[in-house]
Amino acid sequence: MAQSRGPKIGRRPKKKAVPVAAARPWGVIATVAAVAVLAVTIIGYAAFASWRGTRPWGDRLAEISGLTDYKAQKPAWLTQDHKEGPLDYAVKPSVGGDHNGAWQNCTGDVYPAPIAAENATHSLEHGAVWVTYRPGLPAEQVRQLEERVRGKDYTLMSPQENTPGPISLQAWGYQLVVDSASDERIDTFLSAARINAGPEVGAPCSRGITDTGTAPPPSAGG
Amino acid sequence: MHDQNVDPAPPRRRGLVVLLGVAGAALAVAVGLSIGLAMPVLTAPSDDSSDVGFARDMSTHHAQAVEMSMLGVRQAGLEEVRRMALDMGLTQQAQIGTMRAWLKQWNVPPTGTGPRMAWMRDGGMSHDADMADQPAEDAPMPGMATEAEMARLGTLSGAQFDALFCDLMIRHHAGGIEMVDAVLRTDPEDEVRELAEAIKVGQQSEINALTQLKSRLSEQ
Repeated sequence: MAQSRGPKIGRRPKKKAVPVAAARPWGVIATVAAVAVLAVTIIGYAAFASWRGTRPWGDRLAEISGLTDYKAQKPAWLTQDHKEGPLDYAVKPSVGGDHNGAWQNCTGDVYPAPIAAENATHSLEHGAVWVTYRPGLPAEQVRQLEERVRGKDYTLMSPQENTPGPISLQAWGYQLVVDSASDERIDTFLSAARINAGPEVGAPCSRGITDTGTAPPPSAGG
Repeated sequence: MHDQNVDPAPPRRRGLVVLLGVAGAALAVAVGLSIGLAMPVLTAPSDDSSDVGFARDMSTHHAQAVEMSMLGVRQAGLEEVRRMALDMGLTQQAQIGTMRAWLKQWNVPPTGTGPRMAWMRDGGMSHDADMADQPAEDAPMPGMATEAEMARLGTLSGAQFDALFCDLMIRHHAGGIEMVDAVLRTDPEDEVRELAEAIKVGQQSEINALTQLKSRLSEQ
């Protein structure tokens, strides 16, 4: 308390001291201010830039553990020509490459039976994510997968004998194999890859064919 | 505390320094935010840039392909042609939407007042002021169908339609690729580059498909 009263007592002498303190360190003040302005400007812009630009989909996708990035590893596979009839794909289920002229409808279609890779690959080119599972996956798991697909544009789902695990997800150039429908990576993959991964920017999922069976229908059909 | 030998700065002067510091920090935040907010506007492509020219002219170029495709969906003979037309028409219309969104985001009008294709005529570089003053005819865009060709396509159906559709669309796509190559030479914005590259690959594969289709049609 004695100390807090101190300044009051010392007020008068302090007023007298003011004229004495005329020489302020303007150089120091100016330098400190300039540095502060520069620092805050840089930090401010960095913060703004990071807020403005959300991270690119390719980075979000590449970060998923267990993802196979064929776009980086095998870019030569990912050709986009139309070829009719049965085609051979190095990865099963297919993750891209030449395909039939007809695309498999992918407006959130849940196919009850296997479909032709030649048409599904065209859907991948248009930006769809193809969710596949091994026949015999427990019904509850299939139901959980269906919830993520049915009615959701740029997705399609089917059982495929050649699925490399219980469940796998395919986008153009990418594949993710998971054991369970409750795996959180499924949603990360779907949100990063849908529409984004398709090389034919702006292409539709509607008006595709809805045939099932692994043999592609003849080109004039559909 | 009041010992002048230990602390030569009187409390009032220190208060002033703190005040200056706070004011400086506030100013710095304001300057930083202004720069951050102004950056996208200041760095956006200008009205006479090749990015803007490409977005406008490619939209016009795409629009004719959409028109041809809509005729194809209705009048093509083969299901295959109808399906290709649907694919190309919807895709190109969506790309027009993307390019219009750029122009809006860049704060420039969706259409230009200067001559078409000026950005491409001067080697893709944005033209300087005195060149913009020169009256210039709208250059025809590479690969575009003439009005007469479009009118004729509209009257055809079946196999005749399919044959002319293939010819016109192959030429149209080849012209589109020329425009894409021109903008890619100008070091465009990232979004422009990505779409331009996608258009190039996509239209080249469609040219391949149309060429195959055409040779099959002529065999029949």
